[in-house]
Amino acid sequence: MAHGHEQHGHGALTEPKTLPASLQAPEVVAAWRTRALIVAAVAAIASLLFLFAGGADHVMRGYLLGWMMTFSLCGGGLCLLMLQYVSGGKWGLLLRRPLEAMTRTLPLVIILLIPILVFAKKLYLWAAFPTFESVEEGLKSKLLTEAQAHALNFKRPMLSPVSVIVQMVVVFAIMGAFTYFLNKWSLEREADPERGSQGSYDRWRIKFENLSGIGVLIYCGLLTIVAIDFIMALDVTWYSSVWGLLFLVGQGYVVLAAAVHSSIRLAKYEPMATILRKTEQYDLGKFMLGFVMLNIYLAFAQFLIIWSGNVPEELPWYLNRIRGGWWVICTCDFIFHWVIPFVLLLSRDLKRSRSKMLALTGWMIFARGFDLFWLIEPNFPDAARNLHLSGNLSILAYITVPVAILGIWMAFYLTTLMSRPLVVVNDPHTEEILEPEHAH
Amino acid sequence: MATKGQISDPMIDPKTGEFAVIAPGHNFKSVTEKIAGVVLTSNTPLGWFFGLIVASGVATFLVIAVTWLFLKGVGIWGVTIPGAWGFAIINFVWWIGIGHAGTLISAILLLFKQTWRNSINRFAEAMTIFAVCCAGLFPVLHVGRPWLGYWLFPYPNTMNIWPQFRSPLCWDVFAVSTYATISVVFWYIGMVPDFGTLRDKAQSPLAKFVYGLLSLGWRGSTRHWMRYETASLLLAGLSTPLVLSVHTVISFDFAVAALPGWHTTIFPPYFVAGAIYSGFAMVLTLAIPIRKFYHMEDLVTLRHLDNMAKVMLGTGLIVAYGYGMEVFMAWYSASHWEFFMMWNRMFGPMGWGYWILIATNIAIPLTTLWSRKLRVNVTYLFILSLIVNTGMWFERFVIVVTSLYRDFLPSSWGTYKATKWDYMLYVGTLGMFSFLFLLFVRLAPMIPMNEIKMMLPQTKIKGLDAETTIEETA
Repeated sequence: MAHGHEQHGHGALTEPKTLPASLQAPEVVAAWRTRALIVAAVAAIASLLFLFAGGADHVMRGYLLGWMMTFSLCGGGLCLLMLQYVSGGKWGLLLRRPLEAMTRTLPLVIILLIPILVFAKKLYLWAAFPTFESVEEGLKSKLLTEAQAHALNFKRPMLSPVSVIVQMVVVFAIMGAFTYFLNKWSLEREADPERGSQGSYDRWRIKFENLSGIGVLIYCGLLTIVAIDFIMALDVTWYSSVWGLLFLVGQGYVVLAAAVHSSIRLAKYEPMATILRKTEQYDLGKFMLGFVMLNIYLAFAQFLIIWSGNVPEELPWYLNRIRGGWWVICTCDFIFHWVIPFVLLLSRDLKRSRSKMLALTGWMIFARGFDLFWLIEPNFPDAARNLHLSGNLSILAYITVPVAILGIWMAFYLTTLMSRPLVVVNDPHTEEILEPEHAH
Repeated sequence: MATKGQISDPMIDPKTGEFAVIAPGHNFKSVTEKIAGVVLTSNTPLGWFFGLIVASGVATFLVIAVTWLFLKGVGIWGVTIPGAWGFAIINFVWWIGIGHAGTLISAILLLFKQTWRNSINRFAEAMTIFAVCCAGLFPVLHVGRPWLGYWLFPYPNTMNIWPQFRSPLCWDVFAVSTYATISVVFWYIGMVPDFGTLRDKAQSPLAKFVYGLLSLGWRGSTRHWMRYETASLLLAGLSTPLVLSVHTVISFDFAVAALPGWHTTIFPPYFVAGAIYSGFAMVLTLAIPIRKFYHMEDLVTLRHLDNMAKVMLGTGLIVAYGYGMEVFMAWYSASHWEFFMMWNRMFGPMGWGYWILIATNIAIPLTTLWSRKLRVNVTYLFILSLIVNTGMWFERFVIVVTSLYRDFLPSSWGTYKATKWDYMLYVGTLGMFSFLFLLFVRLAPMIPMNEIKMMLPQTKIKGLDAETTIEETA
């Protein structure tokens, strides 16, 4: 089992490595898939218990959290895949197959969205009060405030069941088109009769660049729509113009952690063992640090502006997330989501250590989920009460349901990962990545 | 990527198909002669004198406008209620934004190991410093009694009065002064080895003395180089957060106020992106004529212009996203005030400003910069850089003026009209900036010789190459 670091004599220091005969994913991936399914099944059973014990609200909210995580991994994977085509560099080569596999989970992500749309009334006022008449009745029966009623009526062109479905059809159709072409071309590139030549490298590079450049741009718009429809609109009166960008960076945070986690885990086995060098792992660690900093920068800027503005339409959103027991959650979120990854990623040794990076990337995925919990739950009127476990066990659905959904997603992802060779050969960086590490 | 017909072009790197970062054929000696020659020559080009005279003439406007301002006070400007902020703040933000490209090039691109920065970082840093000088003038003049400008700083005083620490205007003082200090130190430290070269090459005793002083006893020893590299990396590390923080703090000047058009959470990233966008436009505005005038096309190549244009495309798209979100949120907020502000911005009496902004900042650059042909078309890029600089000025005009002049109460609505003193002050700072920049290109090495030499093939010591290097250096 090679680890990609030539410290076994002078010859190994100077000779480039060669790729193993088989570039397919190792057999152990099938075992990982089985484990993911077992975890998903156990978590699903626990979630069903919560559901039948009267915790339908929390099950749905947990489901939303889980779905947002899978969407982040799928959509974020697509965005990062396009970004590495646009920016170039060796780091992209290591993540390309895991990212492609993430993008191909799109059908599952679409299917998983259906329950949210079907049971949208449990989550969204725009679904519970879909017409002017129902809003009027809600106002009369004091189920809605004046501000909510005004917002619902005003935003109906965007926030209504039909409109949201239409938006999602458009979003997923466009994402599907990009996913299709990027994955199709990736296979065709490997089968190019002129592969290994400068002409082939250039032709494919330009083709991918041209599609990805516009793709990243479009994806920013698509993500903004999803982030507004499904998370911001949980509080129909609240708005923040940096929301889309905040989610974009949040996706980068989690998808990079997941992709690096995949690559390092796969690097215990061939063929990834041959191509994952400490140099590129270190670069990926720096990239992750960039996303961690960007994430807190945007989150803090949003907080400071709203806090200083002190406008009654905006501030309650933060007050609901800071007051009472939520202060503890808010502090934990800050520590989990930012302090821990930031402090650890400053270490050069940690970024070069596989075991430590595995642990940290796993932690970051959890931290993103925790952050989503802080974003989702306080939107509901019973949020303050829900922080107590006594007589309120169904809040644990926030753990079991996302674990179940992510387990199913993981199994699907690993299946798609196994369907292609893990190493891209027809790329100029493949040769560079096989060079001895001291050469750089 | 080069097209097939360009493959034989010596400026194309056959390995990558990209334009070369520096033209082939240079060695240590030729780089020194080319760059140091501009500074040490006794035959100053007439064009330089012409440029200096024009810049001085334009800068005279600044002197006149400031003198009259001291005599009469800020009442000579167009600021009034409700438009209490006008040209002074617009110009302050515009100049500070321009400075950002220098810091990005010198710090962030250094940390990212982008070697193409080497040819342009020195004059981009100079641009940063002169831009910050111009920017700093405006708030100091705007306080009304500039001779009491030091009150902006928190210092123990007999009146026991402190600045309002919760105000972003106070944060500005710290952000901008830190930015200026770090930028000057970074710029100067970077020039020390080159000052050593100038000292050694200078013929006149005065030049030897001055550059000798400036070079701080630089001998080029291994220890000196080690310390130099460490200092550069540390300063790059210090400067990197400043790229984000300075314009973020400036965006807070607006965003923390509860005023539609200002109070929006997208401002911090969108201000930073806009700053880099305008900064790169200004680097192009300066680099294109300079490389032509001093025949530096082999050191500031099409690769640099292409890459800068790509950065502009990227940052311009972020700015466009920001504009889009402002419009969208004006509707999504369901707030009458937000909606009216955007309607007024687009179709009100000053709507023309918004559409000039959209045309110059978005429509023209972001549709054309996708084309590689245009990105390496020097004339087009120069014109485009002027267009973007104009657009970014209008962006600040739109933010400052159109958010203010029609406030919550229609009875207090007014308008904003800049006076001739406002225009003279602004144009005067353009003159001052050009004047300082021309002095810089004549008196200091505008391209870092030491960093260019690091990129030469001779620095890769391999057999004969090493011998060639030693020979040529000697």
